[in-house]
Amino acid sequence: VRSAAARLLRTGCGMLISLATLSCGGGNTVAGSSGGSPVTPASNVVSVVINGGPTGLTSPAINTLYTTVTVCVPGTTTCQSIDHIQVDTGSYGLRLLASQVTLSLPVNTSTSGASLVECTTFVDGYSWGPVSRVDVQISGESAHSVPVQLIGDNRFPASTVPVDCSSSGPTIEDTVAQFGANGILGVGPFVQDCGSACVNTAQPATYYSCTQAVCSATTVPLTSQVLNPVTLFPTDNNGTIIELPSVSASGAASVTGSLIFGIDTQSNNQSGSQTVLALNQGVYITTVFNGQTLSASFIDSGSNGTFFTDSNIALCPSPNSSFYCPASPQTLSATLQGMNGTSVAESFSVTSLAGVASTVTALPGLAGSNPTAGSFDWGLPFFYNRRVATAIEGYTTSAGTGPYVAF
Amino acid sequence: MTQIDQQQQRTRMPVQTGFTLKALLLSSGAAFALLGPGMASATLGEPEASVQSDVQELRGSIKEADHGSYRVHEIQLPSGTVVREYSGVDGIVFAVTWQGPFMPNLRQMLGRYFDPYAAAAKADHADHHHLQVQQSDLVVQVSGHMRAFTGRAYLPHAIPGGVSMENLQ
Repeated sequence: VRSAAARLLRTGCGMLISLATLSCGGGNTVAGSSGGSPVTPASNVVSVVINGGPTGLTSPAINTLYTTVTVCVPGTTTCQSIDHIQVDTGSYGLRLLASQVTLSLPVNTSTSGASLVECTTFVDGYSWGPVSRVDVQISGESAHSVPVQLIGDNRFPASTVPVDCSSSGPTIEDTVAQFGANGILGVGPFVQDCGSACVNTAQPATYYSCTQAVCSATTVPLTSQVLNPVTLFPTDNNGTIIELPSVSASGAASVTGSLIFGIDTQSNNQSGSQTVLALNQGVYITTVFNGQTLSASFIDSGSNGTFFTDSNIALCPSPNSSFYCPASPQTLSATLQGMNGTSVAESFSVTSLAGVASTVTALPGLAGSNPTAGSFDWGLPFFYNRRVATAIEGYTTSAGTGPYVAF
Repeated sequence: MTQIDQQQQRTRMPVQTGFTLKALLLSSGAAFALLGPGMASATLGEPEASVQSDVQELRGSIKEADHGSYRVHEIQLPSGTVVREYSGVDGIVFAVTWQGPFMPNLRQMLGRYFDPYAAAAKADHADHHHLQVQQSDLVVQVSGHMRAFTGRAYLPHAIPGGVSMENLQ
């Protein structure tokens, strides 16, 4: 039932795109804006959807935010739209599963003139593939010649993965099923996916210069690194706002919301009286919870739950033993602190996975144990029923200079 | 202290500053002996003196702190990531931790536990930002986002008495 629902949504989405190059609106099970005036269609707004994910997943996604992105051969009108691109404020840059790309895209060259190929390390695995350039169109925004990664490109098959890369994580994630999406749109608060660390030093398990099957770690200039495409928009380029409606405690089969580009650049992206939490150089905030001061905390649309450690809450049975299954729903509170001295109290819910309807793909109370000490991860549940702005490092808005998160 | 100052001057990655500060705080609470670049570091489950390759392989600088019931070898990698390896009085490494902008070479750090970790990790697929492997003889916990990773791996049966999880950071 769940995969059928997801397939139905995607079919409708594809029709919309082919007719008008509009972004996917999803099924409208829960849609709207979080208080205030609703976001109306505008040149800087694209729909985002939470549903079971793209075809090919072994199990439906949960609390995973997707959008549709149009990519074009640079400088041409040869374009395609790709749905179910995950919207992630915990990474930087656009990455596409090569299996979903029909465009013919040449591979960028490294500083030595060979092919530039990237090893992207996530916590749960690594993704391998070349860097190419595309024009990116999303809502009415467009960015020219954006470096993007093509994951699982058969020009550089898994057999070419360097040992450094395969030693960085448990498994390769080069297919839609492994990756959980047709691509990922990293709109977090950094500009590049590596930054200055890769300019003068060839970092292990990062960028490689490849001649056929022989790859060696390489330096990469900032402008050649895979980067947050928002920063290449002519305007509306200082950050993003994710706006999602409230979702009932029992969950929803699908949810639609908005990804708004720019902060304080249009009438629909004003900061107003939002609380601004400045981020430190690791783009962390501090969370105080249960008397613990957790200085490696972060707000991340790419995490599918609220992840923290509380030994008083029962964990779910295997195979979901990373998640909490309290006997009854819990409402807890914590305090978020920015590096600018601003702090704000938040309450959050923890509901059990047991008994959740199988059609649910959006669940505000999804929570799990945090694998690491000193960290509180405010994942997608934090984004329900509010507008969360992410300002990019070095860019200024009416509310301050990035990196910051405001809500 | 001199070495730490040098590390700060070398800092190019913004993330590194925070971790260097943490090292500074740690060094004020425990007497660190500065070791040469050729000194041994070790792999999970192996004797601390058995592996000569970590520091050279990773091109890092290393410091050691003795806490009585355990020792901490702290390797500052050129990438800005800090790796700590914990060994008991028997000299066996019972835990490794890491924090910084790049994932370290886990195959090297976990040694013979890397393959069991990788196999178990495939079953646990919450999202791209969390991973927890909890087995009777091995625990691996990783979280974070691009350019900021945190993790630890330990052998539950090998943790010396009196060492709490809070010590392993």
